[in-house]
Amino acid sequence: MSDTSRPPGALQLLLNGILAENPVFRLALSLCPAVAVTTTVMNGFILGVAVLAVQVLSSVTVAIVRGLIHPRVRIPVYTIIIAIWVSAIDMTLAAFTPALYAQVGLYIKLIVAFAIIISRLEVFASRQPLVPSFWDGAGMGLGFMLALVVIGAFRELLGNGSLAGIPLVHGKPLLFFALPAGGFFSIALLMAFFNRIERAVSGDARRPASSGGHHG
Amino acid sequence: MSDQLVHIEGAPRPPMDPREIARIAVNLAAVCAVGALVLGGVFMATDRYQTAARLAGERAAVSSMLALPADARVLEVRQFLDPARREVVYRARPYGDAAAPVRQMVFTLEGRLVASDPAAPAAEPVGLTSLGRLFVATMNGEPGGFVIEGETRGYKNRIRFFVALDTAFTVQGVRVIEHEEDPGLGAETATTAFQGQFVGRGADRIAAIDVTRDPMPEDWRTALGGLATTPSRTWIGQHADLIAREAPKPIYAVTGATISSRAVTRGVRTTVDHFRRRWALLAPQLGGHS
Repeated sequence: MSDTSRPPGALQLLLNGILAENPVFRLALSLCPAVAVTTTVMNGFILGVAVLAVQVLSSVTVAIVRGLIHPRVRIPVYTIIIAIWVSAIDMTLAAFTPALYAQVGLYIKLIVAFAIIISRLEVFASRQPLVPSFWDGAGMGLGFMLALVVIGAFRELLGNGSLAGIPLVHGKPLLFFALPAGGFFSIALLMAFFNRIERAVSGDARRPASSGGHHG
Repeated sequence: MSDQLVHIEGAPRPPMDPREIARIAVNLAAVCAVGALVLGGVFMATDRYQTAARLAGERAAVSSMLALPADARVLEVRQFLDPARREVVYRARPYGDAAAPVRQMVFTLEGRLVASDPAAPAAEPVGLTSLGRLFVATMNGEPGGFVIEGETRGYKNRIRFFVALDTAFTVQGVRVIEHEEDPGLGAETATTAFQGQFVGRGADRIAAIDVTRDPMPEDWRTALGGLATTPSRTWIGQHADLIAREAPKPIYAVTGATISSRAVTRGVRTTVDHFRRRWALLAPQLGGHS
């Protein structure tokens, strides 16, 4: 990926975001929202879809205008681009889909501060043409969404005894997992599981558990 | 990742001469200008629909909270404080009928009627502090209940909510209309499981209401779930025993969101308290109007 001359293909970029560089389980980015929001499958899914939309739109925008951005102020410019897309989506949903907005509105505004989005702009979209940037954004967004859905399913099942709102077990088996502290344990357990699977698949035991990135 | 954010390999690091600074300033200003244009355009294109959607949502909330039949009439009363003259201004007109005449009543803070004008100017008064709105429903000429708009300071931002009361001032519903609390935490105060706890409590109970962090009993939680599909009047009848058991107790806070739970509870208490005092003044004036 550090090779900027020949960008990889669409499928490879998609899989990269979902598996090899999964934002939550591999890059350990945007863990705050990943913990705060994933009390249920549906919460995780809604936030995931919103992140996917903002990531793709922001990546594409940066890929188009990257030649015009002064390198010294690129980070503020990325932030403005993300904020514009988030605000535009927010206003549009509020106007045309009020019922959906009543559920999603809160999540949309959170996304401005997500580290995963700005890091993909800096690492990828600011150095690559439009098409690969689109696929990278889509892969990262899908990877984030899948991670949130898996964490949400894990926590909802253990904490509330239900899945996607459908009760499966009577009562609350382990309420701890629905609470904030349980969120950290859930992510840690799933990250370990994810590493185990990937090592088994790739046969590579040398990779670190995560890159220990910065969080937001 | 932080390494890459701070330093790009081979990025030019020229000394900061004035022309460079000017270029950066122009670059940033241009980005902000484009952003402002885009957002201004989106706002202008969506504002009308956003307002209409909000009004439609509020209308639906008012009629569903009081389970109003289609032919019920609703009077909207806007309440304002005039801090300079120490007066409270009430402006009443049929809900959603912008052409109807506005009946304006002015009281001193002590509750003395200063002026009552059945055909006041339609323009909103300027420079007054809004105290929220109040909806009075009438069915077959009889008062059918009230919905009062309230506001409280939540964990992150203000929380706007409706409280519905029947004519005996028993709570028929509490509904958070607008908030920015955290999903999964404070936002749970906008669910039936939390809001439903107020239903069936009389105004005297509400005046002394508090919040507890104790876990909610399972049977009470199950009963509250029924409120999502049952009109509150029916629900109160079905669960009279449970309500009698729970009404003297505090409201059960949402797990992990005690501050938001307290904020809503305090807001409901204040709103109902203010309404009882204001309605004692307003009722004689509005009698026969709607």
